[in-house]
Amino acid sequence: MQPRPNNPELATAVREFLETEIMPTITDARLKFRTLVAMNALSMLERSGLEEGFLQAEALALAGLLETDVKTMNSRVALDTEVLRLNTLLSSQIRSGVVPSGSVEVLRQIATNKLRVASPNYLKRYET
Amino acid sequence: MTPETLAVLLEPLFPNTKITKLHLLAGGASKEAWLLDLEQNGQTLELIMRRAGGGAMNLEQLTLEQEFRVLEAAFAAGVTVPKPMAYLPNVLGREAFISERVRGEAVGRRVVSRPEFAPARAELPKRMAEELAKIHAVDTSSLEFLPNSGGVTGAKRSIARLYAELDNVNEPHPTIELALNWLSTHEPTSHGETLVHGDFRIGNLMLSQTNLTAVLDWEFAHLGDPAEDLAWTLIRAWRFGQDHLHLGGISELEPYLSRYNTLTNQNITLQTLHYWEIMGNVKWAVAALTQAKRHLDGLERSVELAVLGRLSAEMELEILYLLEANHAATS
Repeated sequence: MQPRPNNPELATAVREFLETEIMPTITDARLKFRTLVAMNALSMLERSGLEEGFLQAEALALAGLLETDVKTMNSRVALDTEVLRLNTLLSSQIRSGVVPSGSVEVLRQIATNKLRVASPNYLKRYET
Repeated sequence: MTPETLAVLLEPLFPNTKITKLHLLAGGASKEAWLLDLEQNGQTLELIMRRAGGGAMNLEQLTLEQEFRVLEAAFAAGVTVPKPMAYLPNVLGREAFISERVRGEAVGRRVVSRPEFAPARAELPKRMAEELAKIHAVDTSSLEFLPNSGGVTGAKRSIARLYAELDNVNEPHPTIELALNWLSTHEPTSHGETLVHGDFRIGNLMLSQTNLTAVLDWEFAHLGDPAEDLAWTLIRAWRFGQDHLHLGGISELEPYLSRYNTLTNQNITLQTLHYWEIMGNVKWAVAALTQAKRHLDGLERSVELAVLGRLSAEMELEILYLLEANHAATS
């Protein structure tokens, strides 16, 4: 077991360093923008603790659409593998012209959860 | 690059001139922009030089020579563009072209929100329609290099291209599959094949405080359905936070669409724009994934490109929102 900081806490430390010590020294607008992008990338890692629960939900929802059983997901690797398998299955089914009913609603929930990690502010744009 | 090295190349094209300013404004893997001032008979020519970057180009991006020729054709047809001045095949090993430097503001977020641009925003819907009408009437017979639809409709060609690009990303994306399936089964009437600017939106339009002063960035020009061009500025990513204003964060669609239809004698409907708005979002989603892959494959290492891969979920959510809005409207 690694001592703390854990991974999200480490990402926070680097983001805060960029924000408080590097940003104030940058005068070039383009470099400033890229530093903000880098800080944004780190904030995604800070929220990555949410991911495991979202992946579980994604697997169950996709399996429901596909009317198939989920395989064992008793480790993070097995979970990632299963979510990839189900996404691949649904993608090829849709490519062959078969769109399961309820796809839009399920995929919207999955996209929303992805954005809770990647871009939570974007979700506010649908609230009005 | 120093003024002395460039001066030697410019002498035959701009005789008896002197370079009074030269500096790099923006550099990237695919392209650079240089600010260039020339003094001629006591007058200053304010110019921009676009020069190829050292890195790999995006797919379907025109070369600078091709972009220069499109710009010349658009200028000749009366489109509001920076006047094209000269093409230079070899500026220290890379091609470049020089055009007039148009003053104004193009940064999307400022254009949609700053109070001083309110008079320009009031004119824009009509002006954008007028520029598109002129672009779609450009004689393309001398532009034989432009990518075309290869005998199918512009929509079918776009769909085929997007499938190919998605397969190249090599990840499963069911939302994009769903959208491409919908686009394949809901194709509207084609409006023919014309010159299409390919990136016509707020952010690529230069404004003064009262008017549109230049249509910029022609590197994605191609032949296709004019409705593609008309709908690109609608997509949420190009509303710069003013999401309630469907036309690029500046206005409703009606004045823009009716002005365009009047000028071109077309009958493009809101339903057709909706179709191409979904296509635009799919295009932007696939482009974001492709850019992230450029980073991952080492073609262009960049944190900006890397982050775009994750941000493709924004376009996915928008696609699902639009598909559902369409379902609600037709059921």
